[in-house]
Amino acid sequence: MREITLSKAVNEALAEEMRRDETVFIIGEDVAEAGTPFKVLSGLVEEFGTDRVLDTPISEPGFMGIAVGAAMTGARPVVDLMFGDFLFLIMDQLCNQAAKSYYMSGGKLNVPLVLRTNLGATRRSAAQHSQSLHALVAHIPGLKVAMPSSAYEAKGLMKTAIRDDNPVVIFEDKLMYNDKAPVPEEEFLIPFGQANIKREGRDVTLIGTSSMVQVCEAAAETLAAEGISAEVIDPRTIVPLDEATLLASAKKTSRVIVVDEGHQSFGVTGEIASRINEKAFYHLDAPVLRMGAMDVPVPFSPALEDITVPTPEGVAEAARRLMSGEMIHAA
Amino acid sequence: MSDTKHNTEDYLRMYRQMVRIRTFEDNANQLYLSAKMPGLTHMYSGEEAVAVGICEALTDSDRITSTHRGHGHCVAKGAEFKAMFCELLGKEEGYCRGKGGSMHIADQSHGNLGANAIVGGSMGIATGSALRAKLQGAEDVTVCFFGDGATAQGLMYEVMNMAALWNLPVIYACENNGYSEYTKTEEIAAGSITARAEAFGIEAHQVDGQDVLGVNALMQDLVPRARKGEGPFFVELMTYRYHGHHVGDINREYYRAKDEEQDWKENRDPIIRMRAWLVEQGIASEDEIEAMNSEIREDAAAAVDYALKAPYPDTREVDMHVYTDIAHACA
Amino acid sequence: MPHEVIMPALGMAQETGLIVAWHKQAGEAVSTGEVLFEVETDKATMEVEAQADGYLNDVRAGAGDEVPVGGVIALIGETAEDPAPATPAPEPAADAEDALPEGHNVIMPALGMAQDTGMIVAWHKAPGDAVGREDVLFEVETDKSTMEVEAGADGYVAALLAEAGEAAPVGDTIAVITAEKPDAPVQRSLAGAPATPAPEPAPEPAASEPAPPAKPTPKQPPAPARSDGRILASPKARRLALEQGLDLARLVEAGHPQPYHAADIEVLKSLPETAPAAAAGAASASRRLVAELPQEGFTAFADWAADSAGLKDPGALLAGLAAASLSRDTATVAVERPGRTTLYTVPPGPFARIEPAKDGAAPDLRLRDLRHSRVVQVELGAEEVPVLTLTAAGDGLAVTLECPGGALAAADTVTLLTEFAGRMEQPLRHLL
Repeated sequence: MREITLSKAVNEALAEEMRRDETVFIIGEDVAEAGTPFKVLSGLVEEFGTDRVLDTPISEPGFMGIAVGAAMTGARPVVDLMFGDFLFLIMDQLCNQAAKSYYMSGGKLNVPLVLRTNLGATRRSAAQHSQSLHALVAHIPGLKVAMPSSAYEAKGLMKTAIRDDNPVVIFEDKLMYNDKAPVPEEEFLIPFGQANIKREGRDVTLIGTSSMVQVCEAAAETLAAEGISAEVIDPRTIVPLDEATLLASAKKTSRVIVVDEGHQSFGVTGEIASRINEKAFYHLDAPVLRMGAMDVPVPFSPALEDITVPTPEGVAEAARRLMSGEMIHAA
Repeated sequence: MSDTKHNTEDYLRMYRQMVRIRTFEDNANQLYLSAKMPGLTHMYSGEEAVAVGICEALTDSDRITSTHRGHGHCVAKGAEFKAMFCELLGKEEGYCRGKGGSMHIADQSHGNLGANAIVGGSMGIATGSALRAKLQGAEDVTVCFFGDGATAQGLMYEVMNMAALWNLPVIYACENNGYSEYTKTEEIAAGSITARAEAFGIEAHQVDGQDVLGVNALMQDLVPRARKGEGPFFVELMTYRYHGHHVGDINREYYRAKDEEQDWKENRDPIIRMRAWLVEQGIASEDEIEAMNSEIREDAAAAVDYALKAPYPDTREVDMHVYTDIAHACA
Repeated sequence: MPHEVIMPALGMAQETGLIVAWHKQAGEAVSTGEVLFEVETDKATMEVEAQADGYLNDVRAGAGDEVPVGGVIALIGETAEDPAPATPAPEPAADAEDALPEGHNVIMPALGMAQDTGMIVAWHKAPGDAVGREDVLFEVETDKSTMEVEAGADGYVAALLAEAGEAAPVGDTIAVITAEKPDAPVQRSLAGAPATPAPEPAPEPAASEPAPPAKPTPKQPPAPARSDGRILASPKARRLALEQGLDLARLVEAGHPQPYHAADIEVLKSLPETAPAAAAGAASASRRLVAELPQEGFTAFADWAADSAGLKDPGALLAGLAAASLSRDTATVAVERPGRTTLYTVPPGPFARIEPAKDGAAPDLRLRDLRHSRVVQVELGAEEVPVLTLTAAGDGLAVTLECPGGALAAADTVTLLTEFAGRMEQPLRHLL
């Protein structure tokens, strides 16, 4: 199978959906000729024109609100939010307007829009361009949240998101835009709420989101050499969450580590760990561990930044401790 | 008064719609005062000529976005009493199945995209609706209702900028009732409100919001022009709310004198003025008008009675309408 | 149909409104928009307008009355004589159910140092009774003492707001004494009393104020291990043990280190079977039994054995009797006397074969001989093996058996102690 970059995969997904459905349009800062700072959208304006690839002023709340209104009245906007950190700017339009419209109207006014944005630290971008804020939106009922872990998922999830009748937020890891993965030439979609078992294992389950799937896979490789068989699962969407697959794996291995790049406290890792605790408690042989980003603003210095995020070594070490029964002393 | 070509029916319908709004509000007020209505409500009484003058220039396919003080817009855009009262009382047959209430009534069958409990929260939605119309070559116009208080929100300037850049068919209707919640407008608004729109190159008008024919005449000019791509437009409608910010805002002499309220009610009431004009022009007799008024009163009383007896939604509905494709979000 | 004049909801968090003044009298004509009455709420006074034309009738609340929001306070009817409809109780009357008579409020006194509530033991007066300032009104129990509380005012008991047996928070009003004899004295229980006047006459009882817990006891973190008998094991290990009818306590006995995980269940399964009842027994409880017997039997036997059989070590004799009671082929018994512990290996057969065991051998049983000490009763708690303790009991002897619950089933402890006591009483008979 051919291999393409995550960036190209997103670009293809958008182009295919825009060809299929003329109500789809892209709106955001420097999305047209510039193709975004990450060049993900290069070439789209040439094919679809400036009516469907709309450059906006630097007005995040403004174009987010405009997208809500357009979606409510029959268009399918894809909003490009240059950095995930700018979510804080658009919170009212996303969480008070888009997320609640369908419910507040008793099922009359749905908002089929996609908010494309990104996450991921270690790009030396400091605290306002490095955050992973997906837990923030996953907390709000009415929003769906997709977290592609490779080019394949990035394409399949984007196409599904555009066809979804609800507001969907997609977080791409900005460090993965140039990572290549096998992606079929022919059209495919990845349904929401279906986790992917990336690697089967017996002893411990590693649940990772976005780029943390790679971290978990690397840890599993290390552990395999030591005779520890790790299962790696990518939920692919955290809302909706494929609880059944996660629970089945937890019951099989009895030990679970949840790895996510959002801040560890009050985040995705805690939520998933909690559900496993509630629904697979009597199958657990060790406490479910959370591994998130350190609870500090993302620092600039590489010496500091690199230690704030989960690493394969850290995940493998945590798995060893679980296997040895050491963690029960912490419980 | 206006000399535009209206036929008798148009005049009578405008009067009738204003009385319907006033009657609706009188009943809503009583429901609240008698503790039969849950929650909070904001009365539109006094501002009827604004909603009616504008909405009588629109068709069902034209959209509006409304505000927390939104009953008037809803009635003027064609809503029924029964479903409105049901919504106010949280009943299943309400426009939003009781999930929205007074501050979130939406009636998309008549193009009402919903009231909004965030001051200025719907400006993006209205502008987005207009963007959709432009992108899809539709002829509809969107009117964005908001108050003078909302002119202090930054979102307004972001979306007006884009609306002007893209010539969107949107009309920003600023209902200047003189008070931003419990504060005089002059204390929160520097300079001129219309000048703010003019700064973006938007054609702006200030009009007497108590003169329904004057408001309507202006809109009969602006709406077709907006359809032709000459928008956006901005209209500041000078009006007055008879009640406090909300129904419980009774002790308000610290911000507004009783004499002032009396003056507006006695000398500038839009319904009294229109009624006198109808009689003077020989369009309707006092008896005919009285008959119309009492018919509306009976209609409202019957709707209130119906709504009071109507059932609440089944509690199973609580997690419905969170997502379009997930029947019960918490199942 | 007459139009109801209702106490309006005006403030954001208002439950009642105070009628300041009526601007119309009953029977007077009113028209829509005319000021009907003035109401005070949230520190503001406002005029309320009539919402209908007609005549003011059936005025049910006067100036100074506090009326729940939504309550009907008058009617506007078509004629001045419009008779009051047969609505049963006017709103203020309904309100009176919640309102308390004005008078001297008797409160639950604070008596102890750290007392949050007081329990009413008994009322000495009934509602409506005359009461003097120094009369005992009720008895209250607090901090383990009961005391009588005086009324503190002369008058009549107009309200009792808590029943005997109920604990009332300190400082809460529990009775009202009025100067005038009340028409309808109030009697309530704390459990049934509304906490505050209900906003509307809905019959739904407001949540009673439960007496606050005496003192929040800070929750201790669970003890790290064993001291409380709790076994540390993963949820999965516990589930597997339960499903397979296995007792994790046996791992404890076997000295297998905690915490237990699923893998340790395999170890548990490989342990040799002991008493079949072990799995069913309550693993954590320790067992203690005491038997009493005359002491002459053993003393005589020891003398005879020393003289006739050349068995001069009474410790070996005790070990032999104890081992025989265990019904085991060969047993190791530790015999402890103050200052000295001797381990014996007891093979089957004659007592002559009993000999000291090798150092470091693990005993199957301990025998603590305290017959000649001052100790008359022991409760030392279970040790890893059963312990038999001999103490003097008057002229006789007491034998106490202590062992961990998991070591012996209840029936087995009875057998062991009965056997041993029997042998001590009549050693020869058992030897024969």
